[in-house]
Amino acid sequence: MSAVAAKPQAGGAMNPTAMAVGVVMLLIIIALCWYVSPGAGLMALVGVIIGGVLIGFGTHFVPVGGAPAAMGQAPGIATGVAMLAAGAGLAGLFGGAWAAEQGLVIATITGGVGGGLMMAITCMMVNFVYVFGMGIPAASGKVANDPITGDSQKEFKSQGTEGHGLPFVSFVGGVIGGFLGGAGGTLIYYQLLKLYEATLPTMIGVPLVQVMPIAVAAAGMFAVGLFLVNAVLTAYNITGTIEGPHDPKFKRWPRAIVASAVASALCGLVAILIVVPM
Amino acid sequence: MSVKIEVIEGGIPHQKIMIGGLVSTLVCLYLTYLNVLTNTEMFAFFGGLAMITALIWGSHTIKVLCSYGIGTGVPSAGMIAFGSGVIAMLLATKFAPVAGIPTAPIVALVLAAVIGFILGYISNNILNMKIPAMVQALTEMAVVGALSLMGFAALITGGFSFAGLTPVKIMVTSQGLVSTSQYSFLGGGLIAVAFLLGAIAIQHPFNACLGPGWKQDRMLMLTAECGFLSMIVAAFMSFAFISTKSAMISLLVAILGWAYTYNQYICLSKRDAAAWLDAKPIPDMEGH
Repeated sequence: MSAVAAKPQAGGAMNPTAMAVGVVMLLIIIALCWYVSPGAGLMALVGVIIGGVLIGFGTHFVPVGGAPAAMGQAPGIATGVAMLAAGAGLAGLFGGAWAAEQGLVIATITGGVGGGLMMAITCMMVNFVYVFGMGIPAASGKVANDPITGDSQKEFKSQGTEGHGLPFVSFVGGVIGGFLGGAGGTLIYYQLLKLYEATLPTMIGVPLVQVMPIAVAAAGMFAVGLFLVNAVLTAYNITGTIEGPHDPKFKRWPRAIVASAVASALCGLVAILIVVPM
Repeated sequence: MSVKIEVIEGGIPHQKIMIGGLVSTLVCLYLTYLNVLTNTEMFAFFGGLAMITALIWGSHTIKVLCSYGIGTGVPSAGMIAFGSGVIAMLLATKFAPVAGIPTAPIVALVLAAVIGFILGYISNNILNMKIPAMVQALTEMAVVGALSLMGFAALITGGFSFAGLTPVKIMVTSQGLVSTSQYSFLGGGLIAVAFLLGAIAIQHPFNACLGPGWKQDRMLMLTAECGFLSMIVAAFMSFAFISTKSAMISLLVAILGWAYTYNQYICLSKRDAAAWLDAKPIPDMEGH
């Protein structure tokens, strides 16, 4: 047997002790940040945590099919969470980064629209390939009727598969997921960029215009790193594949919220420490 | 609770690869410090070798982790390795040498291990993965990501201090006064290229070699081959930062290393194949 064939049976159960430890860790990290950089640093960290949680939560909406979807045996887009979330998030991040000069709200929404647009195009082209290329209809294996349109799914599902193609609810889920992911990634980038713009000139001792490339690159790299960490942690939460918001695995999201918050706080603290004088 | 589904018997035990990889990576990183001692840039290629030894260790860690069938695909492991590694590496470059000895590699090691350990705890307990190798594997992977990015930095710019990666000077060019911060490893965005060169090189070998016919030496040889391939690209980028002679040395080492490991990998693939046919890439058209 290969590693691809066997799916792990990670339970859907919560682990209350570990969740409590996670929340305590989160508070400790926030306290540490307040200690080293009470003003701008703490604000940036809060933004980073919100952004990370948005990414972690949004990834649950994206219909990730993995290898079975590539063979038309499971619904969803035929690749892994890391690739999909990174694609949607980075598309959003690049979109939002252009709008960073126009303030927090416009930048975040632009990032969200970028990510949502990317997912909408991907979902549509995936369905084109499924329907016209592979000749299979869209059918969910997890629910009897599509929760949005109410269409019955059972008649279209082939025997021996878990469903195939992208049902309407998965499409909508993908767009929502892309929007949340793109907005979260942009929020992280924006918060770190503003922090670096405020602190790097005094730290290096040159005018702002000269350190801008470094501020942009550092904020961008940290945003990409945080994005990948959050996306992969969410992938672990849903053990690789999910159909969309109607999938029973979607109910595991509280775990991912805690996990993303702790991971983003940890990585965000490191990103903030780089501009704290030592 | 997931079940371990692939045999790992045969070959060098993982502990040995881990210790060997860690020590040789740190030694190679410190050897790039000869640049400062001898006031040249000729030893930048040791950064590339550090990157390759770290990748060899990391690809075997991926093998240990993904043997449990984590269900998310092998590339995700490479992505989280470098995603957490780049964060630790950037902060570590800020630590100045103590008594003439650079502390950045050690700080990167410790910081990445802490980040990786907490991420491992999160995935294993909060996300309920319950995979025995998870915590150790994510810890190792964050260290691998941080150290190999530091290797890339040393290879491309000849050093790995924060000031070296972000030189802010005013340069007089034909367009007038120009800030040089965009001509740097960080400001120029080269770190993003290094990130993906490393992330692809670390996840590809196990992704390509997994299955019942997996052989340790073949996979590790493929890792070295991918590493040298990434080093060739990085050596080209280093022409912009270090002297032409030093960059030529890096490029030569990378090309020779790549040719050797590629050859060896083909030999090992032929050894493990049931049968093989030397199909010519361009068919012989004579007589048509």
